[in-house]
Amino acid sequence: MKLELRRIHIKDIQFGKTTKVKDGVLTVNKEELINKLKDDERIKDIKVDVARPGEKVRIIPVKDVIEPRVKIEGSGNGFPGVSTKMAQLGEGKVNILYGAAIVTVGDIVGFQEGVIDMWGEGAKWTPFSKTYNLVLDITPVEGLDPHSHEATVRLAGLKAAEFVGKAGRNVEPNEVLTYEIGSHAEETKKYPNLPKVLYVEMLISQGLLHDGYIYGVNSQKILPTLLHPNEELDGAVISGNCVAACDKITTYQHQNNSVILDLYAQHGKTLNFMGVILAPELTTLEGKFRTCDYTAKLCKMIGVDGVIISEEGYGNPDSDLLMICKRLENAGIKTVLITDECSGRDGKSQPLADTAKEAVAVVSGGNVSHVVTLPPADKVIGNAEAIATLAGGWDGALLEDGTLMCELNAVIGATSEIGYHYCTAKLY
Amino acid sequence: MKYRIVTNNPLAKKEFHNVCFIEGSYEDVLLKIRDLVYEGLDLISHPLGASMRMLYSPYRSIVVGQKNEAIDLFHIEIIENSIMNYRKNLEGRKIDWVHAEDYALIDNELLKSTLEDLEFSFNKGI
Repeated sequence: MKLELRRIHIKDIQFGKTTKVKDGVLTVNKEELINKLKDDERIKDIKVDVARPGEKVRIIPVKDVIEPRVKIEGSGNGFPGVSTKMAQLGEGKVNILYGAAIVTVGDIVGFQEGVIDMWGEGAKWTPFSKTYNLVLDITPVEGLDPHSHEATVRLAGLKAAEFVGKAGRNVEPNEVLTYEIGSHAEETKKYPNLPKVLYVEMLISQGLLHDGYIYGVNSQKILPTLLHPNEELDGAVISGNCVAACDKITTYQHQNNSVILDLYAQHGKTLNFMGVILAPELTTLEGKFRTCDYTAKLCKMIGVDGVIISEEGYGNPDSDLLMICKRLENAGIKTVLITDECSGRDGKSQPLADTAKEAVAVVSGGNVSHVVTLPPADKVIGNAEAIATLAGGWDGALLEDGTLMCELNAVIGATSEIGYHYCTAKLY
Repeated sequence: MKYRIVTNNPLAKKEFHNVCFIEGSYEDVLLKIRDLVYEGLDLISHPLGASMRMLYSPYRSIVVGQKNEAIDLFHIEIIENSIMNYRKNLEGRKIDWVHAEDYALIDNELLKSTLEDLEFSFNKGI
C-alpha cells in the first residue's frame, strides 16, 4: 500500500463567504457548515468558533479532535463505515489542512473533563494549543438518550472535518510525505536481516463514552485485528471515548499516530515494520484473556522479533497491557510498553494498577496526577461551568480570581500513551 | 443464575434482579467483592474503570460468578491491587457527588455493556 499525505500548511482560520484555502488561510462559511451539520435532526443548535494559538482562550469540555482532510486519489473519502460509504483505506493521495483541527465540545455528562488552553501554562501540556482550532459546540434536541447524544456529537465532528477538508482539494501542498509498505513476504525479502516489529495499539472498548471504532465497527465487538499502518493514517480508526482526557487517543492522533510514524521512519533502516494490531480493552476478565491470547497468537503467527504496545486509559486496561506483555516475553518476543503513570502528586507511588516482572522496557507518557496551575481565560468556548468540574476534587483548587489547579488528567492529550504530546524524560 | 451484580448504584438495583446491593461506598463494593473472591466466587468483570475520572464516581457495579472449590489466585491479585489503587487515588481527591446522577447513569451503561458482552460473546445466560 502506498499513501501520500500532502500537507497544506494552515496559518489561520477566518470566517467568510466561501469555504476555501488561500495563501495558507482557511476561510470557513459558518452558515453553510452549520446548515450541513443540522441535516442531522438530533442537533438543535451549533455554535462555531475559532481558537488560535496564543489567544487567552479555554476550550472545555472537549469530546474529540479531528484533522480536516480530503482524499484526492484512491478510494474512501472521509471516514468509511462511519460518515461515508464503506471503502478500502490506505492507498492514494490525501490533501491535509495541516495545522488546522476540528474540536468538538459536547456536555454529554456533567463530569466530563478535557480542557485545551490556547496560551500560557495550559498550552504547554496539550498538543492542540498549537493547532488553529475550529470549535463546534453542539447542543442536541431535548430528550435525546445519552448513546444518541454521543453518536450525534461524534458524527458532527467527522462530517465537519470532511466539509472543511474539501477546501483543500485543489490546493498545492507545501510538503508531501509518502508511506509505502508492501506485503510481509515482499518486505522480508527486501530486509532479510532486520528484526520484524509489530505495533499493538490498545483501544478502550467498554461502552458509553468508552468506545473506539474501526471502519465504523465498535471495537468492543472484535477480536484483535491486523491493519496495514496506512489504513489508520487514512482515517480507519475513530475515537468514541471522552472520559480519559489526558490519555484518550483522539481521532486526530489516530490519523497522525506517532508510533506508526516513528516505526515508518525506522522501516528498512533498523527494523521491518509489519503492521498494526488493534486490541480492544474489555471489561470482563474472560474478554481480557481472549484479547491477550489472541494478540500474542497473531504476533507469533507473523513471526515477529519485537512488539511495541501502547495503552489507552488507566485502571483496568493496565491488566491487559501487562498480560499481553507477559505472553509475548514468555514467547521470546521482545516487548516495549508505552503507558502513562498515575503515581500521585509527588510522583512516588506505584504508577500502574498492575505489575509484571516481564515488563522490562516501559516508556512513560507522563504522570497524570501532576498538578498544573491554570490562570483564568479571557474567553471560554464551551461550558464555563465545566471549569468547576475540572478544578474540583480537593479544597482550594479554584481560587477567587478564577485561577484553577488541576491534575494533568484533565488536559486533553497531556500524557498521550502513543507519544503524541510534549512530556518527555530527562536524565539527571 | 450464573452471575451476580455487586453494586451500590441505585439505577442498577432498579434495573436488574440478580443484585447484591451495598448500602455504602465504591470502596465498600470493592471490599464486598474481595470477601466474595476469597470465598471462591469467580471475579467476572474488572473492579476498576478505564479512566481516572471514573475512580471519583460514587457508584460502582462489578459482576461476580459462581462459587468454586478453589480460590482463584489471579482474581485475588486483581481485587487486592484494585483496592490498593482505589485508596491511593482517593488520597488527594474527593468523591464527585456533584455529578452523582451522571456517574450512576454511566456506571449502569457500562454494566449493561459488560452483561451484553457476557451474553453474546460467551453465550452464557445472565
